[in-house]
Amino acid sequence: MDNAPPLIVEAPAAPPQIEVAGLTKLYGDFAAVSDLCFSVRAGEVIGLVGPNGAGKTTTLRCLAGIIPATRGTVRIGGFDLAQNPIEAKRRLAFFSDEPRLFDYLTVAQHLTFTARIYGVANYQEIQRPLLEELEMDDKRDKLPSELSRGMKQKLAIACGLLHSPEVIFFDEPLTGLDPVGIRRMKDSILRRARAGAAILISSHLLHLLEEVCSHVLILKNGRKVIDGTLEEMRQKFSEQAGGANLEEVFFRATGEDKRTP
Amino acid sequence: MIAGALFYYQFCSQKNRLLTQMRRLRRPRYLAGAMVGALYFYAYIFRGFSQGRRGTGAAMAAWQSHGLAESMAALVLLILMLMAWVLPHSRAALAFSEAEVAFLFPAPIGRRTLINFKLLKSQVAILFSSLLMALIGRGWGAGNFSIRGLGWWVLLSAFNLHLLASSFALTLWMGRGLSNWMRRAIFLGAAGTAAAGILLWARAALPPIVVPPDAKDLAWLAQYAGQVLQSGPLPWLLLPFRWLVAPYFAATFAQFFIALGPALLFIGLLYWWVIRSDVAFEEASVELSQKLAQRLATARSGDPYGMRKPAKAARPPFTLRPLGNPEMAVFWKNLISAGSFVTGRMWLMLLWIIIIVGGVLQSQVSRGGALGPALLYLAVMLVAMSLFSGPQLLRNDLRQDLPVTDVLKMYPMRGWQIVLGEVLAPAAVLAGAQWLLLVMAAIFFPTHLGPHAVSLFLRLSCALAAAVVLPFIDLIAILIPNAAVLFFPAWFQLGKQGPRGFETTGQQLILMFGQLLTLALSLLPPAAVFTVVFFCASRLLGASAGVASAGIAAALLLAVEAGLAIKLLGGVFERFDSSGEVLSS
Repeated sequence: MDNAPPLIVEAPAAPPQIEVAGLTKLYGDFAAVSDLCFSVRAGEVIGLVGPNGAGKTTTLRCLAGIIPATRGTVRIGGFDLAQNPIEAKRRLAFFSDEPRLFDYLTVAQHLTFTARIYGVANYQEIQRPLLEELEMDDKRDKLPSELSRGMKQKLAIACGLLHSPEVIFFDEPLTGLDPVGIRRMKDSILRRARAGAAILISSHLLHLLEEVCSHVLILKNGRKVIDGTLEEMRQKFSEQAGGANLEEVFFRATGEDKRTP
Repeated sequence: MIAGALFYYQFCSQKNRLLTQMRRLRRPRYLAGAMVGALYFYAYIFRGFSQGRRGTGAAMAAWQSHGLAESMAALVLLILMLMAWVLPHSRAALAFSEAEVAFLFPAPIGRRTLINFKLLKSQVAILFSSLLMALIGRGWGAGNFSIRGLGWWVLLSAFNLHLLASSFALTLWMGRGLSNWMRRAIFLGAAGTAAAGILLWARAALPPIVVPPDAKDLAWLAQYAGQVLQSGPLPWLLLPFRWLVAPYFAATFAQFFIALGPALLFIGLLYWWVIRSDVAFEEASVELSQKLAQRLATARSGDPYGMRKPAKAARPPFTLRPLGNPEMAVFWKNLISAGSFVTGRMWLMLLWIIIIVGGVLQSQVSRGGALGPALLYLAVMLVAMSLFSGPQLLRNDLRQDLPVTDVLKMYPMRGWQIVLGEVLAPAAVLAGAQWLLLVMAAIFFPTHLGPHAVSLFLRLSCALAAAVVLPFIDLIAILIPNAAVLFFPAWFQLGKQGPRGFETTGQQLILMFGQLLTLALSLLPPAAVFTVVFFCASRLLGASAGVASAGIAAALLLAVEAGLAIKLLGGVFERFDSSGEVLSS
């Protein structure tokens, strides 16, 4: 596996690729996300962690333009997601924990369809190496129902990466992958980050985040508890109670350690 | 202890389901659905129930006086039960949900307990069906509502037990090497032999059938059927089945309880048979639960007609280039989902078939006969019907894509582009079919209407006007249910727990009437424009040009209407929040 450090910010002054300010999502009186603010620059990988029901998936869905935010602004690649959704969405890809595919389109048809949606003129040049990389070259004419779960996930990834997104959101990216798939996914995330993509990963697998993330944002009850680089976090919580890995940071930051038996 | 846990599970499931439904009624649109549904049931069932039996009851009474209805019912039951031995082709499988398989199969629960649980669970559906059948068939039985309801319960319980017992027996036989076809041959052979024997007896013992020359009804047939059913060998063959139907036909509670004894004895025997069968049903049940879950998911995704995933890949209707309007990609995708028959080649082939066959038939028609007008009438009727049934049958649009709204919303497309792309495919397929019918109508259009000659030019003008107008009417007709998807997503069962009961019926009625009303209202302005333009243009340019001009003018207005609707729905789609719907429903 590629163990190079993930944080490679090419130009510190570069504008953030993801800018979130005052993001709030309400369902009636219930606030799923409250006044969330953070930013991610090109080359950064930020891990979104929090207990169940913290608002991680809602945040991701708001950032990907799937559900409208109640308040606040989200800028993707400099474009306001609410004011200029087309330009913002052109620059992003979202991978949900469960691959969402069209039952009646084959692997190749999925790619053709996605290419037209995003206007990828040279998609045939891209799709061949992409399918080869994902070991799906011999599955071009298969329907999703004929693919295993891992293969479906690979197809969803191939579709998402076809337009070379500058901003990538992952929701539990390792769910259902075998050990080889997990290693490839980690490598792929790091490679995309080094190529200049801003990446946000929501996951409960703290060791994964520790391996691939440069930054971490901890959510609880829809609110940001803390965010910063992994190093900053470790230092902050080490001062309180000795050496801290991300798991310790998470428990101390969320107060969950007091509740564990 | 286990029985208590299973009862607790059933009780809580039913209670929570009811509570979910009640909670949903706090939202006005779902309350409206429930109220309309309740009114419908009241008008068609309860009101009729309170008014007592209707005319059909008298006819049934005549049948019942000879015991013929009972014998006929026993015969139907015999045939249905025979089918349970002939039709199945797979091993016994009890229908459990996926959650039940996950929780109960690995649990320390015996096979008999599982069977008993399944039987008890099926009683919920049986009791509901009995109630419904007692309400619907109020003129069929001689007794009151309670007797009819209990009668149905006896019948359905026995049928359910028999179905299970037969499936267990078939599984055992399959295990012993008896093939499906061999088993079917044995049962159908036995049934055929019995039927032939009864026919031979009837021919030898009964007077031949004579249809009275002054016969006004089928009383003569009922009399003959009564002789066959109530004498000779058939009554003996039907005896156990008569036991089961007798409680339903009881007129008083006294008669009912007398009839109940043999029926319960029969049911007891069936239960003993089921519970004593040592058949491994678990593996087949797991497979069945997965299939049922899949079907349920497909149906809840808004595709009640599809009910299954495509078995093989369909050929794309045309080559999709990577650059261009993205809505064409959605159109292309939905055409693929419509099936492999939606290709230009297929449409051309159909067109040629209609032209060639129509031409040959028309040459026959020109010599006289009713075939031409009949085919014209058929084509026009099919076009008219397609306007109402087409949007219900062709659902390759937002109704199909509702479960993947998340994916659609991520695309860099405006809402109107998504909506346009979604509705284009069903509208195109529908318009294609209508155009073929129009060609057929044009071929068989008469050359004379009464004393007036109908020129070829006028016929072509009419066909052209219809051909221009119909696609836009289709587009509007398909936009209406798609609008319903966006305004009432939970009615299209977005969440895992879809609406049921009165709500569903009410919603369907509201949607149906809403669709008809909206379509009628949207057609009014184009119809007015058509009339005005036709009146003016036909005076200036003649009837043929008048029809064509009026058709084009009406089509333009329809296009504007459709465009406005797409723009409006696009905005709704952009604001559409599926998570809010799921949470609140």
